Amino acid sequence: MNLAIETKKLTKTYKTSSGMQSVVKDLDLEVEKGEIFGFLGPNGAGKTTTIKILLGIIDGTSGEANVLGRPAGDIESHKRLSYLPEKPYYYEHMTGLEITQFYASLFGIKDKDLCVNLLNRVNLGNDYNRPISQYSKGMQQRVGLAQSLLNDPELLFLDEPTGGLDPIAHIEIRDLILKFRDEGRTVFISSHELSDVERICDRVAIINKGEMVHQGRLDDLLSGGRIEVTADGVAENLVDKFKGDDMTLSLRAGRLIADLPDTMSPNEMIDAIRTGGGSVVSVIPRRKRLEDLFLESVSGDNLAKGRVTGKMTDDDKKADVKEEEVSS
Amino acid sequence: MNVILSIAKTTIGEAIRRRVLLIILLIGVLFLVIAPGLSVLSARSSYTVLVSFTLGVIQLTSAVIAIVLTVYLLPNEVERRTIYTILSKPVYRWQFLLGKYLGAVGALGLMMALMTGILVLVFKIMQAEAGMDVVMTLARAPMMYFVQMSLLAAVAMFFSTFASPIVNFFLTGGVYLVGTLFSPVFQDIAGNNSVNAMVKTAATVIHTLVPNFAQFNVQNTIINSGSQLRSEQMYYLQLVAYAFAYVAVFLIGGMMIFDRKEV
Repeated sequence: MNLAIETKKLTKTYKTSSGMQSVVKDLDLEVEKGEIFGFLGPNGAGKTTTIKILLGIIDGTSGEANVLGRPAGDIESHKRLSYLPEKPYYYEHMTGLEITQFYASLFGIKDKDLCVNLLNRVNLGNDYNRPISQYSKGMQQRVGLAQSLLNDPELLFLDEPTGGLDPIAHIEIRDLILKFRDEGRTVFISSHELSDVERICDRVAIINKGEMVHQGRLDDLLSGGRIEVTADGVAENLVDKFKGDDMTLSLRAGRLIADLPDTMSPNEMIDAIRTGGGSVVSVIPRRKRLEDLFLESVSGDNLAKGRVTGKMTDDDKKADVKEEEVSS
Repeated sequence: MNVILSIAKTTIGEAIRRRVLLIILLIGVLFLVIAPGLSVLSARSSYTVLVSFTLGVIQLTSAVIAIVLTVYLLPNEVERRTIYTILSKPVYRWQFLLGKYLGAVGALGLMMALMTGILVLVFKIMQAEAGMDVVMTLARAPMMYFVQMSLLAAVAMFFSTFASPIVNFFLTGGVYLVGTLFSPVFQDIAGNNSVNAMVKTAATVIHTLVPNFAQFNVQNTIINSGSQLRSEQMYYLQLVAYAFAYVAVFLIGGMMIFDRKEV
């Protein structure tokens, strides 16, 4: 397989006051060349630690990490990859062009035209001579993307590339990322923007507490979706008849919205609605959303925590109910 | 080399804009400007007071700038995450550290050059009859202070690879005080055969580990025109070589620690 990133049993352990704590545990990650890969997980799941290991900023405690066919941190592979950190900071006294030229110099690039062209490409053509302190968040992010393209990288690590941006900047950056893939680059995105990830990523990995929960193609992971049945003129007794653990039913002013798992046939319900004098408005098969998968992947923790301690707070209970609602 | 110089250049650009450093510099400059007025407070000759006071101001201001500037260099890069962007490029950690150090020395040099310029100006105004040779002799002291401060910056850079800025501030300040005030004492004890062997060993260790900052203070030869060095050039060259050797040791030590540090 043609892999841009590969980790085998990657583990990172830190010594804490309460003993050894694993931030990343036996992580097996495979990112294919030329794909957009989403790396997801709640805060503290080990995403940033994994990225730092892959960039060679820190070392793993055990296991293996290879980037572009070389061990993580290898300076030769750094010539072929780029990194855009979350909320990047730039030296405020410098202009967008000077920042880009500074990062270019780290690759030994002295070509000013290249920097200008890249800034034009990220729509900063009119602003690159202004100090970075006058830039909006979106403009700073675009400078970050320009600097990340200086070495014509094969692999881009983007940490929360659309975080905190207004909708227009958001869409622009998302489109740029799609263009990167069209150019044959591999893009590794760590993000909490699940709708973006769902829209642009080919494959995703979800980690929780340092462990891999899901990894695969989005289409495969999100298969096994839901069917939504909407009907009017439905009697209340029908809701009682179909109430079940894996189904959400909502009835208001005679309008029923039923959310069924796709393993269940809607025919029986449709027949019952018609027999009861109601009329079916729509039957829509829905793919599982990434948000559902994500919550499924991380929700077990909260439930387990409550069971272990035996002391669930009101907030925990509310959260659990909400998660059950979402997943049922 | 380009990588190191680029990092150094950026560090200079940032350092000379840091408000806290500019305020310290401004205070130093103010003291230099009011220095001529202070000679009336002393019974000593106005020349002696002017020289010792202004050189003292430059030394103290430079030391504070060197420490404050350097202790925050690495922690700021980590806190602002710029270090991650830089280290994800084909940049070795030692190149980053050396670039930051050279940038700090460059910024320090610019600030000290400004103070030296003001010192010369004040001196020319107050001692109009003094010739160019006297002025050049006077300017030699800040040059040796610059060498001293470059060494101090290396000490701060070494500590910054493992200590927090506040701890580093006191550690570096402590090393500077010991190296300035007590180094001659430790040197004497280390060379004295009549003292206890343990005390002598301890003094030798401290004298070896802590650079002798006191020897860079060449005020006396400027103030006391009677005191002459046998080979002035050789003496200054030896001081520079001494500082260079210690700078190299501290930087290499810092690089070794920083290379293994998890940022």
